[in-house]
Amino acid sequence: MIGAPITRREDARVLRGETRYLDDIEPAGVAHAAFVRSPFAHARISSISTPADAVVLTAHDLHVRRFPVTAVDGTELADEGHPVLAGEEVMYDGQPVALVLAGSRALAEDAAELVEVEYEELEPVVDPRASETTLTRWSRTAGDVAGAFAAAANVIRGRYALPRLAAVPIEPRGAIAAWDRELDRLTVWCSAQDPHRPRSQLAHILDRPENAIRVIVPDVGGAFGGKGVIAPEVAALAAAAIELGRPLKWTEDRYENLLAAYQGRGIEGEVELALDGDGRMLALRGRLLADLGGYLLTATPIPPHTAAMLLTGCYDIPAAEVTVTGVRTNKPPTGPYRGAGRPDAAYMLECVLDDGARALGLDRIALRRRNLIRRFPHRTPMGHVYDSGDYERCLDTALALLADSADSADSAGEHPDRLCGTGVALYVERAGGQWEAAEIELDRGGGVTIRSSCSPHGQGHETTFAQIAADRLGIGLDRIELRFGDSDVVPRGVGTYGSRSVAIGGSAVAQAADRLIESARPCAARVLSGDASWNDWAFVSGDRRVTLEGVARVEGGLSAGATFRSAPVFSSGAYAARVEIEPATGRLHVLRIVAVDDAGTVINPLLARGQVVGGVVQGLGECLVEEVVYDEHGQGLSASLMHYGLLTAADVPPIVTAEVASPSPLNPLGAKGVGEAGAIGTLPAVANAVADALAGVRLDPPFDSERLWRALR
Amino acid sequence: MKPAPFAYAAPRTLDEALGLLDGRDDAVALAGGQSLVPMLNFRLARPAIVVDLNRIDGLDALHVGDDGALRIGALARQAALEHAPSVGRGWPLLHQAVRLVAHPAIRSRGTVGGSVVHADPRAELPAALLALDARLRLVSRAGERVVALADFVRGPMWTALAPGELLREIEVPPLPPDARTAFVEHTRTHGDYALAAVAVALAPGARAAVAVIGAGPVPARSSDAEAALVGGAPAAEVGAAAATGVGDAYRAALIAELTTRAVVQVRA
Repeated sequence: MIGAPITRREDARVLRGETRYLDDIEPAGVAHAAFVRSPFAHARISSISTPADAVVLTAHDLHVRRFPVTAVDGTELADEGHPVLAGEEVMYDGQPVALVLAGSRALAEDAAELVEVEYEELEPVVDPRASETTLTRWSRTAGDVAGAFAAAANVIRGRYALPRLAAVPIEPRGAIAAWDRELDRLTVWCSAQDPHRPRSQLAHILDRPENAIRVIVPDVGGAFGGKGVIAPEVAALAAAAIELGRPLKWTEDRYENLLAAYQGRGIEGEVELALDGDGRMLALRGRLLADLGGYLLTATPIPPHTAAMLLTGCYDIPAAEVTVTGVRTNKPPTGPYRGAGRPDAAYMLECVLDDGARALGLDRIALRRRNLIRRFPHRTPMGHVYDSGDYERCLDTALALLADSADSADSAGEHPDRLCGTGVALYVERAGGQWEAAEIELDRGGGVTIRSSCSPHGQGHETTFAQIAADRLGIGLDRIELRFGDSDVVPRGVGTYGSRSVAIGGSAVAQAADRLIESARPCAARVLSGDASWNDWAFVSGDRRVTLEGVARVEGGLSAGATFRSAPVFSSGAYAARVEIEPATGRLHVLRIVAVDDAGTVINPLLARGQVVGGVVQGLGECLVEEVVYDEHGQGLSASLMHYGLLTAADVPPIVTAEVASPSPLNPLGAKGVGEAGAIGTLPAVANAVADALAGVRLDPPFDSERLWRALR
Repeated sequence: MKPAPFAYAAPRTLDEALGLLDGRDDAVALAGGQSLVPMLNFRLARPAIVVDLNRIDGLDALHVGDDGALRIGALARQAALEHAPSVGRGWPLLHQAVRLVAHPAIRSRGTVGGSVVHADPRAELPAALLALDARLRLVSRAGERVVALADFVRGPMWTALAPGELLREIEVPPLPPDARTAFVEHTRTHGDYALAAVAVALAPGARAAVAVIGAGPVPARSSDAEAALVGGAPAAEVGAAAATGVGDAYRAALIAELTTRAVVQVRA
């Protein structure tokens, strides 16, 4: 079962339209919410006047605290948690100011238009370099960095920047909140990545115990990191539901999602590497500047810290010094978006290697090869402990696949005027870490129910988790049911993000299954009247055998649970890209992407490839068209899909994938994670291919045709 | 993104529709709705009444008239234009252009007439129709008038359509039998609006048409490029002529290149 390319069990339901997304749920008597939003990037609110016949709530009406902020790894934080609704000041275009309720969303929007807010405009800060307000600060130094730079034969350096991106889940965010006055219990249906984080965020904001809140995550149409922190609108809705004592619903629309939802990336940095005379890396220095937006959401400090921690990549660098400065700008907050700091690190490091190799006349592959980490576990100067890997094998596989593809799909000769380039990049990805839980029940009829603390939103947990259990228990997939997403039903967990579900949540399923077998053993011994050894998915004693189902019939059912905990695991990979640029128009043609990923033991190669391909396409979007754009007044210029570029299937080149498997020693499956891989490796590979085609001219993404055309002039 | 309140009418006859629209500047006609509905939802369009033309019989006709002209009824879908064999044979330029309009789902609902009246300067079909000297038959309670497409478009999303008036039919004159056409565009992604595009029709010895998207505020014919094309100038020279007067260097380069490619195609 482990390693079997089974098609997704959830697909039939999805394709038949039998899924139930948030907007499909409509409790009786529900009122619909719309939000009055700031039209300015920075302003003082002088007054709010509301029409007499409308239900309008402002910051004064809600009893809430600001968003909690995660203090990751000693990051210094300013006390600037996001307010639920704006109080005296607005900090970004689209910030929610008032909540308006009516019998339908359309009527709520009509009423919202009649709310008059008087603003006194203030000067916005749009360029993070011009910001004078620091919201987060973090730094770490390990080893003799100054000494290494002083002794270096060569120092290579570069400055790189990634624009802000929108996650664009096909289903935007939203929630339904209903308060039971008698039980003093709040139920929130929320389009989220998991129930646990929304519940703890709401508990903090509403100042209520977690057990007074039930969060139900229905089917979710994608998140990509954008649904790990609840929207301020959801917090306002929950507070208003308690205030008014009636169920309320808010379904975010595409405009709101592109205007005001938290965004990804928005980071720039300067990276320097000290090399000895043989091209061996002695030390790395990195200074990262993150454009964090108007306030801190719960996860806002995390991606820049993740980038900093991974800045030494897959190379054996003895010393490093990295600082992160997160500054306030008058834009929506940033937060995790597929990769969440990992692509940022891979981009800056892999670009400086290419640029440095070119400047020094070194072979860019040889420079990498000379410095690869080859022994595991490996402790990096930033403090990560890489569990396993075979970076050179990934690199060799990618180079071989790139060479194989050179003649076939590519148009060499067909367009002799085009500028050709190839790029290669490696990455290391932190995945897993912390803990998750699972409970398994085998009923007397032979049905298996697994309650997992993980929560799918497109990844295919119903298939992979069932495979893990089936592999352990010897029970067919068709007998295995999964339960996710309801905080009253599933065990407590950390959350579904950071490519961690299989390694941590899947290992919890495996352990729970093992415990289920153990719990059945005494009964099996009684049935068999002898030692019951577990062999070939049955208890055997001599020539007698009894299956788990047999034991369950006797015992009236079996159950077991496990909480699995481990240090982070580190996936890795090597990517390669072949590109051509049309000099006359600047059009970039990505001809081929080679993706070689090492995610340890793969549970289902079909789903793993699906994750890689999806990530590659998002990475390509970042390379080709995606960019959140603000004008000099901080007005969002890309808040519709007419303006925010997204690739279509027709824009996607052939993607060649391959696996290298270095099982992790840290969990019973040997699994790592592959959810973000494509979005990490694609960006630096394509960026390096573009620089190669431009004979060393380095541009930051997106590599749109006008930018490339101008670079060629 | 819900529209502001509006009244809705779904007349069964053209007369009834014209009666509903007569004398009002706060009414809009709904055909395929692929641009109007988003504008309503963004509350950029706030009409008092939406007159839905979709229940009027016969407005979706697409046929070749006795005079040899292609007649595209106001409700003819872009997909109908794409799939009509007569269009592929007689007006290949329309066939080439329509396949670049958005995606199949949008073309199955969107109308050719709606694209013309919406007058988005980056839309492919109006530029192709401009190269083909299309005429528009406009009707109102006061009667009917025929306006050349070149005179109809006054600016980005601004036309000569008067209050109370409807586009009833687009007439596209026949091309000479040996005419060759090409439509070449540059977009950000597949199916996106054109950043620049060029529609070329060439009937050797007779006439040439070059219509350009992206050179000015609205698609326009380039008489310089047409003269160069008729005169047998090399493709690159025709391209350079099409880009004459375009201020932005990148845009000029793009138009020159796209025109060059289109000319190479029609001469191939």
